[in-house]
Amino acid sequence: MSSIDVKGQQIEVDEDGFLVDPDVWNQDIVEAFAKLEDVTELTEDHWKVINYLRDYYKQFGIAPMIRKLCKDTGFSLKQIYDMFPSGPAKGACKLAGLPKPTGCV
Amino acid sequence: MKIPLHMAKEKDLQSAGLVAVPEKEQQQALLKGIDEYRHWARSIMVMLETCTKCGACANACHSYLGTGDFNNIPAARADLFRKIYKRYFTWTGKTIGRYIGAEDYDAETLAKWVTYFYQCNECRRCAVYCPFGIDTAEITIAARSIMSAIGVVPRFMTGVAANMIKTGNNMGIPKPATIDCCEFMEDEMREETGLEIKIPVDKPDSDILYIPSSADFFSNVDTMIGVAKFFHAIGANWTIPSTVLEAANFGLLFNNDAMKEQNQRMRDAAKMVGAKLVVQGECGHGWRAAKMYTEGSNGPAPFGIVHILDYAYQHLGKLKFEKLPWRVSLHDPCNYARAGDIIEQPREILKACVTEFVEMTPNRERNFCCGGGSGILMDEMMDIRMQLGKKKAEQVKELLPLDFLATPCSICKAQMPHVMKHYGMEDLKMGGVMDVVGKAIVLA
Repeated sequence: MSSIDVKGQQIEVDEDGFLVDPDVWNQDIVEAFAKLEDVTELTEDHWKVINYLRDYYKQFGIAPMIRKLCKDTGFSLKQIYDMFPSGPAKGACKLAGLPKPTGCV
Repeated sequence: MKIPLHMAKEKDLQSAGLVAVPEKEQQQALLKGIDEYRHWARSIMVMLETCTKCGACANACHSYLGTGDFNNIPAARADLFRKIYKRYFTWTGKTIGRYIGAEDYDAETLAKWVTYFYQCNECRRCAVYCPFGIDTAEITIAARSIMSAIGVVPRFMTGVAANMIKTGNNMGIPKPATIDCCEFMEDEMREETGLEIKIPVDKPDSDILYIPSSADFFSNVDTMIGVAKFFHAIGANWTIPSTVLEAANFGLLFNNDAMKEQNQRMRDAAKMVGAKLVVQGECGHGWRAAKMYTEGSNGPAPFGIVHILDYAYQHLGKLKFEKLPWRVSLHDPCNYARAGDIIEQPREILKACVTEFVEMTPNRERNFCCGGGSGILMDEMMDIRMQLGKKKAEQVKELLPLDFLATPCSICKAQMPHVMKHYGMEDLKMGGVMDVVGKAIVLA
């Protein structure tokens, strides 16, 4: 287990860099993760994806199907990769504070 | 030596129902594990004692060919096990050990085991070329299972195991999310076809229990959609189980007890809905576990077990297709072609669905692994995974241009996009065989 420094506060992350406790998530953490995930600027579109993922996770306890994420936010998979270079499962879920999707992904 | 994996810590082990053994007790625990294993699986002794180090396996192994690491030669990898086995379990090893290749357990033993037994994809290609038929996958399966029982296991495996215990699938999808996914896919199919095609969950009195890969509920949506359209077309009375939404059985890949427990989940789910037939979805090693180890795990099963590609092939004559104008090839998942008798079925299905089917070379039981087999999908292993995928990339490159490459196994589906991107083929479209069925099928 390691941690990242977010404005002087040590936030616990797992070995893949995902939040250990999704409840500590806040805007400062998103900005810190953004730098680590090569997201240069957090736009309104980024927040649309992040908020969608968080809402879905709150309701269902898991990340949504990637196609559902695309359909409900109106972004193509390519657009999501353009926004989050390591993709929806890694970059987008990490910024949204979700656990890392695991299994055959 | 530095282990290239993130290893499970005490908390991770607990969540997977495993325990850590203190370092000073590891040697004794490992030897006890080997002793028990050799008594219930005597095949492991045959594998360990008959190798003559002829070297036929070296060039058969994509792991060795991709990494160039001596310890990834199947005979050398097995030797990591064999040296310890000889030293502590044979009289020659006990008396003149160092003259016959036996070796004392030392501080590096477990580090070497975990490093190299997690660079074997358990693909069994070496067994095809070995004059004695020695199957390194059997040795890898044994080594991983013995190690996990003493708490030496990658965190990736315990994470998956914890999800299986908690939710009944590797991804950790709870039932309400499963139902939400099914409704989404039903909407997609309605928009596309105008038909009401259902994906029933835990439906009582179902003839068929279909067990999908949980990845079909995250990234491989078209596989599940293809299967639902197929069942609709043949008028099947079917359901998926929320209690085991997982064709994979990672127990086979790291712990035999976990494999047996998951197998029991399948039995319980089939009983709950009254299914006469269990149909396994597109997953390689999970098919091996279901086909080969169901009876051995928990006794004879009161239902039939068939693979979706075999089942679809049996119904091919009753289906109507509008052929897709595609040039398509098939990557044979190792556990279909070398452990599960699913070889010609996917070919015949693809030929019915597309205008041009081409074989890659080599193919069928001589095909190379994608490099992700046996659950080597950890992010921290990405560099090694790309080396393991090198032979596969070379095979695919020779076939370009392709409109689609069928990779009908969830591990292959997870690994191949990384391999293709790494070797400059990122635009290649890939997916399951049932994805193609779903796109070509004509529904009434």
